[in-house]
Amino acid sequence: MSQLLFHGVEKRFGRRLILEGVDISLTAGHCQLLCGRNGAGKSTLLRILAGMERPDHAYVTVDGTVRQWRRAKKRLLAECIYLHQQPYLFEGSVHYNLNYPLRGGRAARESRIREGLEWSGLTALSEQPVHQLSSGERQRVALVRAWLRGPRVMLLDEPTANMDTACRQRTVELLQVLKQQGMALLVATHDIHAFAEVAESTWDLRDGRLRDADLAPADLPEKVTPIARRVRWTA
Amino acid sequence: MASIADSTIQAVTLLFGGDPDLWEIIGISFKVSLTAIVLATPVAVGIAFLLAFGRFPGRRLLITTFNTLLSFPAVVVGLTFYILLSRQGPLGDWQLLFTQPAMVIGQMALALPILVAMGHSSLQATDRRAWETARTLGAGRLRSTLTLMREARFGLFAALLAGFGRIIAEVGASMMLGGNILHYTRNIPTAIALETSKGEFAQGIALGLVLLVMAFVLNGLLQLVQGKGRPVA
Repeated sequence: MSQLLFHGVEKRFGRRLILEGVDISLTAGHCQLLCGRNGAGKSTLLRILAGMERPDHAYVTVDGTVRQWRRAKKRLLAECIYLHQQPYLFEGSVHYNLNYPLRGGRAARESRIREGLEWSGLTALSEQPVHQLSSGERQRVALVRAWLRGPRVMLLDEPTANMDTACRQRTVELLQVLKQQGMALLVATHDIHAFAEVAESTWDLRDGRLRDADLAPADLPEKVTPIARRVRWTA
Repeated sequence: MASIADSTIQAVTLLFGGDPDLWEIIGISFKVSLTAIVLATPVAVGIAFLLAFGRFPGRRLLITTFNTLLSFPAVVVGLTFYILLSRQGPLGDWQLLFTQPAMVIGQMALALPILVAMGHSSLQATDRRAWETARTLGAGRLRSTLTLMREARFGLFAALLAGFGRIIAEVGASMMLGGNILHYTRNIPTAIALETSKGEFAQGIALGLVLLVMAFVLNGLLQLVQGKGRPVA
């Protein structure tokens, strides 16, 4: 899969229209940002793209074949991974959490876990119970766990919310590596500035529609840099 | 009538002297109640899962029903199954009345509401993100379900202990469905009732001590388990 295209994504909660005819493409090795006000539907969109939330209407093009969302759901679950704003870690150690998505023999799994721990700088915390971790460490564990699953697409919901500058920088560096490895990234965030160096495109979700962020400069956060405003359509 | 002190000394002697009749009664009690809890638990966990995560008509009514059944008197459960299992009853052909399986059925019916109600509460209290995280990490429905049970294990274990505590000490259903037959259906509570009515307090006190010690152990375990149940964000 080098590109995953979504067409006409629609979602209502009761009478409230959250998403209206959203089109978006997720391309290997590209990072896109998704901004918008609280309650604009960013998380809902990410969850639909990840195959976790049923839309009222949506088509997905995978490998050149157009399918209804419900027919593509299994494929989406297999190829995309969604990271909650506050990631959920299963009770147990960091090692237990990293082992969760892995398959195969014990030796192979241990080797992958070691690789992941070294990659994220969490080696010293391997046996630490997750409830003793800081929020930045928890976010990194979640990111490594997602990476170990080997998805093609990673959908991140406010990954740097409530993080200090150092943690934020470390997370952005990890995302940069994921992008270089060919992963498609879509990051919902209010802090466009933090991801300026890693993102190619920025979308603004407003009134249920995705807009080119450059067309709505007045509503974007003040920190937006020229790099962050550099918007490209990947579709 | 012997004094309470004399009866207690006799009771301790019976217990630690390895009185075969006494230990047989204790054995029957544990055999019946453990069988009932082992059989009722998978059914109850399944129902608790449906109630916690299923969306179907009548769900709320079912939750209310199970909560109401929590306070259902054991003797009424006994009476209900007595009618069902008696020779003229709809299940009379099974010929189970005054047998251990009849006691097991009665105790299952008593344990089920506790297991369902407490299991439902603990499963409902688990974070919705646990299921979503399991799914997005590639776990199938079965593995995600087992993961959720692991996350709720302390609550589920507490339900198990509470259910066992309820049935090991109940007298109404066991008396009506088991018939208190020596060497077969006489368990701790029915034996205590019988011995006390005969004025034989020593055995009653000995069996009462067993129940007290067990209640203490179960509650200790419950405290231990609930203390370990730490919410993980």
